Amino acid sequence: MRKLLLSTLLFCGIYLNVFAAVGCSLDDPDRDVKRIFPSSSGYLTKLVTLKELGGAPLLDQIEEKLGDKLDPVYEDLDVPYAYYVVLKGKEPIGYIHGINQKGKFGVLQIVVATDPEEKIIALYYQRISSPEASKFRSAAFTGQFKGLTLPDFYKYNLADNKLSGWAVTKITDSSSNSPEDFRATLRGIKKDLILLDYFLHGQKNGGVKK
Amino acid sequence: MKIISVAFKNLRRKKIRTGLTIGGVAIAVAVLVSLMGFDAGYQKSLTNDIDKMGYQVLVTAKGCPYEAATLMLKGGGGLRYMEQEVYDKITKDPRIEKITPQLAATEFDKDRQNGQGGIILYMGVSDSYRELKPWSKFKSGKWFSGEDADEVIIGYEAAELEQRSAGDQIFIPNLNKTLKVVGIFERTGTQDDGIVFMPLKTAQRIFDLPGKLSGIGIKLKNIGQMSDFEESLYNEPGIQVISMAQVKGTIFNLVSSSRAMTNSIAFIAILIAVIGVINTILMSVFERTKEIGVMKAIGASRLDIFRIIWLETTLICILGGVLGDIIAILGTSIVEQIIRKVLPYAPVGKLVIITPSLLLGSFIGAVVMGLAAGIYPAYRASSMRPVEAIRSGE
Repeated sequence: MRKLLLSTLLFCGIYLNVFAAVGCSLDDPDRDVKRIFPSSSGYLTKLVTLKELGGAPLLDQIEEKLGDKLDPVYEDLDVPYAYYVVLKGKEPIGYIHGINQKGKFGVLQIVVATDPEEKIIALYYQRISSPEASKFRSAAFTGQFKGLTLPDFYKYNLADNKLSGWAVTKITDSSSNSPEDFRATLRGIKKDLILLDYFLHGQKNGGVKK
Repeated sequence: MKIISVAFKNLRRKKIRTGLTIGGVAIAVAVLVSLMGFDAGYQKSLTNDIDKMGYQVLVTAKGCPYEAATLMLKGGGGLRYMEQEVYDKITKDPRIEKITPQLAATEFDKDRQNGQGGIILYMGVSDSYRELKPWSKFKSGKWFSGEDADEVIIGYEAAELEQRSAGDQIFIPNLNKTLKVVGIFERTGTQDDGIVFMPLKTAQRIFDLPGKLSGIGIKLKNIGQMSDFEESLYNEPGIQVISMAQVKGTIFNLVSSSRAMTNSIAFIAILIAVIGVINTILMSVFERTKEIGVMKAIGASRLDIFRIIWLETTLICILGGVLGDIIAILGTSIVEQIIRKVLPYAPVGKLVIITPSLLLGSFIGAVVMGLAAGIYPAYRASSMRPVEAIRSGE
């Protein structure tokens, strides 16, 4: 009897819980927000889809600003995005937004925290599947993005992978054999910042090249 | 018609009391419908899950279920394995229509399940796996190119989670192994959606389990030979035979036990609702003693009074029944979410199935309940003597 029950649990249930829903919200918002913004007193969680925000025209705008096509399956209009407005008292002291970015070996979940001016103050991989994951996760690599803003990333052309002007030229790929994941990271961060800009300022004023 | 309008008017006089009583009946009906819907949905989902395994008998190494329990509870631990010779021996049995060897292996991924860590299940399979599961179709890509190819086919949900497409690669961190994704299965609504499949020999090689299997799925030519077949395997050392029919029966027995409990809860909810209805109508009757006396004095018969009061009770239960059905329909997804939270290992598929017949049955039940609950208050009202009623009501 017990064997049968356990077998049934194995074959009916065990596999079901190993994969959670797709989306990139923070693993533990209470913990993660406090870790990134120690002085915060709270945060607001906002959920939004591109369909709600502007639909297909917005998708076109984002693709143009990103300089790349969005994946029709994993980056479509219905993907729910979560971003966090971090508060100190009633004042926002920063924003946190994570995105899923297709990497070479699996999904990259990149979480970007910015100050109220949308300047990156922290960045980490919530999830990364790569033989060189530790190099990408290292503070030496992620620390390079501190201080960058969306306009900086507009100088990075995803289509031909050229790093023109600015700061991105200073970002070095810490990995030895994963240039694809390095490029995916840059694309992910750029997409993250573009989306955050739209979330905060709406379709009319968001994502504007400054 | 006149009696119905009188009954409605009486109910409208005390709107809050009537509303609360209808609410009580509605909640009882909604609970009943949800519980019965869960019962039906759970059984259907479980049957679907087990049937979609494709085999009627599963042969595993002895002790496997206990290892599996450890795996579930601790998120790690190894499965027990048997030698491939067992498969080679069993496969010669003429009673077998289809047979497939499997090697399940797990790896712990600390990033999974919101950073708490979780297991990834890899399943080594052979070509015969597809024969047992003809409904497994490719969303994209194709079957493995060879028996020992470094390739994987990913279940729908696993592919979605990792954003994998045919032609991509996956990386198994603990083994430091990269494999090519050659196919993505369409959604099946079963546990297969979360599994990473690879050729059996590849799994044996990369997980360092040469010649080992974790299970053998078997489909017989004639299901009537099941008992004999199982009996013949009981003497094989080191293995255990699990019949899916037996598993289903065991689960359904357990479900029956829990059903008795849930039915009791539903019964108590209904009993409370009935008492509430009787109480409300009785209060209403007592408050209208003088009025009932006057009605009788001016010619209303005992039957007239009985019908008015009885109708009031029935109306409350009819409205409660309709409202309860609506609440049950609207609340299905909430109930399902709660159940999935409470029962993380619930089968996939719809857990609460509310059918028109269930709604109709519950509605008829509510009407019958109203008819039964109304008898006593109606009898009390109709038995009043006009003069005494008028005098006591003053």
